[in-house]
Amino acid sequence: MSYTRRDFLKATLGASTLLSFTHAAPNFLVRSLMAGEPQSDDRDTVLVVVQLSGGNDGLNTVVPYGDDEYARNRPTLRLPTKDLHKIDSLMGFHPRMGAFMRLYEEGYLSIVQGVGYPNSDRSHEGAMRIWHNANPDQPNRQTGWLGRAVDSVWNPNKTNAPAVFVGPIAQPFALNAENVVVPSIRSPRDLTTGQMPGYPKNKSQPKHAAKLPRADKGNPLLGFLQHCTLNACANSQRIKAATKASTNTTEYPSFQLAATFRTVAQLIRADVGIRIFFTEFGGGGIGGFDNHANQLGNHCALLHQLSESVAAFVHDLKRDKLLDRALLMTFSEFGRTVRENGRRGTGHGAAAPIFLAGGKLKSGLIGAHPSLTDLDNGALKFHIDFRRIYATVLDRWLGFESRTVLGRQFELLDILNV
Amino acid sequence: MAVQIDKRASHNQSRQVHPAVAEKLTDPQWAWAAYQPDAQQPWNLTQAGHLFRRAAFGAGWDQLQQALSDGPQRAVDKLLRPQVDLAVFNRAYDGYEASAAGSIDGLRAWWLRRIIQTPHPLLEKMTLFWHSHFATNSLKVKNPRLMLRHVQLLRSQALNSFRDMLQAISRDPAVLICLGADANRKAQPNESFVRPLMEFFTLSPGHYTEKDVREAARAFTGWFALRGRLRYIPREHDGNIKEILGESGNFAGDDVVRIVLEQPATARTIVCKLYRWLICETEEPDAMLIAPLVESFAKDYDILKLAETMLRSNLFFSPAAYRRRIKCPVEFALGIVKALEGVVSTTQLAQDLAGLGQNLYHPPTVKGWTGGRHWINSATLVGRYNLALALLRGSGPYADKLNPWAVAKRHGCSTLKSTMPFLFDLFLQSSHDPDVYETVLKTAQAPAGIGSDDPDGVLRRFAHLVVTLPEFHLA
Repeated sequence: MSYTRRDFLKATLGASTLLSFTHAAPNFLVRSLMAGEPQSDDRDTVLVVVQLSGGNDGLNTVVPYGDDEYARNRPTLRLPTKDLHKIDSLMGFHPRMGAFMRLYEEGYLSIVQGVGYPNSDRSHEGAMRIWHNANPDQPNRQTGWLGRAVDSVWNPNKTNAPAVFVGPIAQPFALNAENVVVPSIRSPRDLTTGQMPGYPKNKSQPKHAAKLPRADKGNPLLGFLQHCTLNACANSQRIKAATKASTNTTEYPSFQLAATFRTVAQLIRADVGIRIFFTEFGGGGIGGFDNHANQLGNHCALLHQLSESVAAFVHDLKRDKLLDRALLMTFSEFGRTVRENGRRGTGHGAAAPIFLAGGKLKSGLIGAHPSLTDLDNGALKFHIDFRRIYATVLDRWLGFESRTVLGRQFELLDILNV
Repeated sequence: MAVQIDKRASHNQSRQVHPAVAEKLTDPQWAWAAYQPDAQQPWNLTQAGHLFRRAAFGAGWDQLQQALSDGPQRAVDKLLRPQVDLAVFNRAYDGYEASAAGSIDGLRAWWLRRIIQTPHPLLEKMTLFWHSHFATNSLKVKNPRLMLRHVQLLRSQALNSFRDMLQAISRDPAVLICLGADANRKAQPNESFVRPLMEFFTLSPGHYTEKDVREAARAFTGWFALRGRLRYIPREHDGNIKEILGESGNFAGDDVVRIVLEQPATARTIVCKLYRWLICETEEPDAMLIAPLVESFAKDYDILKLAETMLRSNLFFSPAAYRRRIKCPVEFALGIVKALEGVVSTTQLAQDLAGLGQNLYHPPTVKGWTGGRHWINSATLVGRYNLALALLRGSGPYADKLNPWAVAKRHGCSTLKSTMPFLFDLFLQSSHDPDVYETVLKTAQAPAGIGSDDPDGVLRRFAHLVVTLPEFHLA
């Protein structure tokens, strides 16, 4: 990558901010401020997971309009062919997903079709658990796949938080780790140091006392805490600077999800070592995508918000030349039944598409669309196991070892340009 | 009252392990003998503070002073066997908890409040230890009443008999439900309880085989947790011979508990874990060093006796143990609360502690909270910083329950000049480097912002700087 993180910091924080640090702070602190902590393999790629809670109807998201079975199974829910954003002679995006169509055309969006797993679970809790722990054979496993991922790369010399959950609901199980504490935040402010009322800015930072040498040199924990305190102060400063720098320049629609993505973008920009961001759309649990009746209007609004928010995020990162570092991935606990249910809604299904967004994608449409007639108990059959996508993201994107995280080596997909 | 930062003492008393001491550290006889103060390791505020951080959740000024005049052994006596009517206190809190047991949030808040108010903090410290050891998670149990009973069970045995505790745990519906062992049929022996029993609660890996797990599961057949109640269904019990850890017989669940307790590996697991909790987590204890404790614990499984040996010992009061543990979030927050003698909203506190990685009643996995360096990353440190700020700022969700200036005045300080060293001693018990004190002093006073003459504000800032020092995160 020609554009380094340091260049970026200079660009966003402005030379003056950095200079003001250099005057006041001793050398080793400046070094840690400038360079951050060394990444184990020098990768600075970031994964952004978007959970669509409730079970998204993949058929009405990326529509197989060219297959007559679609219209036949969806007498009231079928979307008019003329309104679709056509990808090819078979598939088209939902009418309100114009933003996704544009991203797709620009090469910033991929669709992985027919993603699922054997013996699909049709309960929200059970299916979500499977996507979170990535181990359908051991539903009682106590850690989530991303929790295991951060545990697998933990080392005592790296004191940045490796993952965060951004959102107002309880932290999803995917992030449950055995060892590492993964913070839940709602805004960047939750990761910056607050201020005692009536006290001049940044003067009450503990960094001055933290950097002094200590008499108890034999205590490894004291040195560790000194180092962590300085790193935490430095990260907090970076986040404050990055938040300030981006507030006025970036256009995001006024959706909650867009605000979440803005937070993620600010934290990527701050470059504080967070490799995994987990976000949620739909309200958690049995969420907004669970449309058993009168699905059309609600689903339409959700897809519109999703595509507009993701597009704003992509363009924000692109403007700062950060898009090549980011990969966004959506998932939902299941798709819906092919046939609508008589109440203008759909039941719990199985396979569904996953969206990927970012600057390093290989191709647009990945895998074939599942058959609308050869079904798994009324729902689409999968032909790409979701753990192959997880494995690809871990091995090829994050540089973590997927075998450690997923328990075995899944066949990787050739979907990333890395 | 003369509070003074004794610079000379801090200079002379380097906390590095003296070579002569280092040699003794591996000598079990010296290590576990009761500590007698001498010129090299005098009994002072530093040692008293250390004792209260480990055996309690920190202390107020009066407790520290009392301990200083009591001497180490008497101070330990009082922590082990407080001369108060504990039954009355615990009955009252059991009542509060029972009425709050509709929600786990209520239970979390009452437990924290109990920890703040209890006359027997060591009991709560040990209850928290066992909570992490058996690691029963409310998200799985989904029944606050069962969780309440589970923690009450832990408390009732926390300083008693590990044997009785393990027996009760093996019949605790909360534990069985949490582990997925709520049905154990003859035709399908369920390993979900016996596996963690052997792997984490007692023996540790390497001290049992897969066959032991399978056979032990058969011994536990017939036990169910149905609608939150423990049931034994005789026709579901496998009455055939089982072979477990070298013994064979027509064993039932209780026999499994007896057999694992007969293994020295069980005593070793608990001694090692308690060593990390009470003494030092920077390195695993040498097998020779802990051998006498293991041997003694294996005989009677008397937890109080084990804790007593550790807390009275030379090793406990040696530099090898000093600040050699990272505080868990509960210890961090309550260290501030106890020092400032207030009672804050524990509903809010429980939530904030969850954000720092310690959600009471919700240990992350069956291994409990790993803790140690894992508590700390740049996000959780900023979280601790902001929690301390919220506790000390005098407004907001914690209101004005903690007031450093008022506490200092209560203990005889009348000026800013005398209060700052007092607060330093209160929070850190003299265990500091003089430069650090000077720098904190300067940082708190230097930029004469608005109301810099107002001692209340200056001292809140000063206190905040002290509790965000690297030292304060160490127990």
